[in-house]
Amino acid sequence: MDLSIIQNLLVTGLLRGGLYALMSVGLALVFGVMNICHFAHGEYYVIGAYVAYFAYALFGLNPILAILVAAAASFLAGAITEKLLFYPLRKFNKGEWVMNAFLLTAGLSTVLQSIFRLSFGMKYMGIIQYWDATVSIFGMNIAVDRVVAFGIALVAIGGLWLFLRRTRTGRAIRAVSQDERGAQLAGIDLNWIQTLTFALGSMLAGLGGASLLSLSPAYPFAGNKPLIASWFVVTIAGLGNVEGAIVGGLLVGVFESVSYYLLGQGWQDVASLVLLILLLLFKPAGLFGTRVKSVWE
Amino acid sequence: MTTSEPAIPPRFRPIVWLRARLDNLGFSLPFLACVLILALSPLVVREAYLRRLLVTSLYFGILAMVFDFTGGFINAVNFGFAGFVGLGAYIAAILTFYFGINPWLAMLAALVASGLVGFLTGLLTLPLRGIYVSLMSWFVGMTLGALTSAWEKVTRGARGIIVPPLFESVTILHHFYILLGMLLALYVILRLIIRSRVGLAFRAIGQNYEVARASGVNPIKYKLINFTLSCAVAGMIGGYYAYFVGIVTPDLLDLGHTMEVMALSFIGGSGSLIGGVFAAFLFIPVFDSLKRLMQYRLLIYGLSLILIMIFYPAGLNGLYQKIKSVFKLPKRKKQ
Repeated sequence: MDLSIIQNLLVTGLLRGGLYALMSVGLALVFGVMNICHFAHGEYYVIGAYVAYFAYALFGLNPILAILVAAAASFLAGAITEKLLFYPLRKFNKGEWVMNAFLLTAGLSTVLQSIFRLSFGMKYMGIIQYWDATVSIFGMNIAVDRVVAFGIALVAIGGLWLFLRRTRTGRAIRAVSQDERGAQLAGIDLNWIQTLTFALGSMLAGLGGASLLSLSPAYPFAGNKPLIASWFVVTIAGLGNVEGAIVGGLLVGVFESVSYYLLGQGWQDVASLVLLILLLLFKPAGLFGTRVKSVWE
Repeated sequence: MTTSEPAIPPRFRPIVWLRARLDNLGFSLPFLACVLILALSPLVVREAYLRRLLVTSLYFGILAMVFDFTGGFINAVNFGFAGFVGLGAYIAAILTFYFGINPWLAMLAALVASGLVGFLTGLLTLPLRGIYVSLMSWFVGMTLGALTSAWEKVTRGARGIIVPPLFESVTILHHFYILLGMLLALYVILRLIIRSRVGLAFRAIGQNYEVARASGVNPIKYKLINFTLSCAVAGMIGGYYAYFVGIVTPDLLDLGHTMEVMALSFIGGSGSLIGGVFAAFLFIPVFDSLKRLMQYRLLIYGLSLILIMIFYPAGLNGLYQKIKSVFKLPKRKKQ
């Protein structure tokens, strides 16, 4: 492999990894705060993609505006889901929460996919590009769309970091992730925090789906691949570890583009699994796994 | 126990004794009646299409039961279940297609192969938290699916492998009775395991991991036994399915398949073994006979899974227990 190929793989890998990081941060946040292994995360990615498609291609909104609308829509969808499903589950649940919540999200994923299929049909709804331009990185021509999507991912993750660090509500979210009962004693409204967290996590996924619309069109099952990838990242990084998810996302992105180059489509999935098995063998808690579940601690 | 009633005339004693024995094997009277109706149903059901439906329901019922053996007892949901079923189907298909091996031997090979992969998956993940088992088995299932699509030289990719039929003159009725026999045999075996000391350990681990460990149960060992067993049986059933449908394709390993089996098992009632079979006979014929419903199938499965999880985790089995206690049927030892 000569240098230009390595650079090439690194750049495409990092650009791809930005999305994985974005999705995985949402996943890790939801797990860290609510203890939910979110299996329907990919469906909020699809919601974002559909809304961005309709906003941009049908209503002709400005690309940035369309992406923001999509993020808002998936935020709302997340909030509604939480109020409609997880709130009653918390109230009625007597068995083991982690497993029941996980199964509920599995059902939710099936339901949402069926709804997408029934309402939009099995067709790809995509756009050619948001911006008709390319930039040159290391002598490679890369579509502005990809760079902007990467930028959006960084900004969103950075914004979330600031939100969790600097605002009262953000601190409350972190408090709940550390100790639910303690947070409640300190006067934090658990229901509100949990709804907000789930909505934020869904928003991150929707943002990913919207900003990558030109690369992967909206499609009822479009959420599967990002879901698998982000679960892969979160498992590698250690469940509920948000910072690890960022690094892990970028790592997995690079790993995928390298293994795709070396092995080709199909076998690349096998390579990912082998990597995961080796990791679980030697570092069962994940690369950056901590014993305490934490959100930026 | 039923025998504690004082006034039993001597000539009824053998019947009471027999009933107690059957009860021990899991054949309560209502259940026996259901089995009898099912076994005699081909006398009434003469249409090939309806008979096929019965076989499909049996197939899904068995899978739901095997799924419950892990999901309902050690509290580890096998998310790659379809992968293990499909692995068995592919092993059986490949052995017969390329090497002309006897179907029953091929099914045995399918059992061993799926059991082995299940064992290795369990070995890696069972020491970790319960949710890791689900994730990892999901990844393994997906990899098996990716492998069947990618390795075209052996699996012929999406074209699938054509499997010769089980016997020369096999009818749907043969399949029906073989699967019914398998169902009953598996039910008795799995139930005996559940009620043995090993099964006690399963339930202890499923209910409270820490307490089970503190009282000297080695959780990893028992979880591994359970997981390996259910994966192996899933592979064998998958192998049989290959001969039933006559073709195996990568679709068989799809996650939707797992969702279907999982939903049936939870609708039937987690930890009841047989509940999933009843759910299968309730849902699958309805979906299939109303073609309009077919496209809503996964939607309905998903919705029922959500509703069951939130409002009624006991499922059909819980409903049955409730009805039974209302009618004050003779009380039996709790399962």
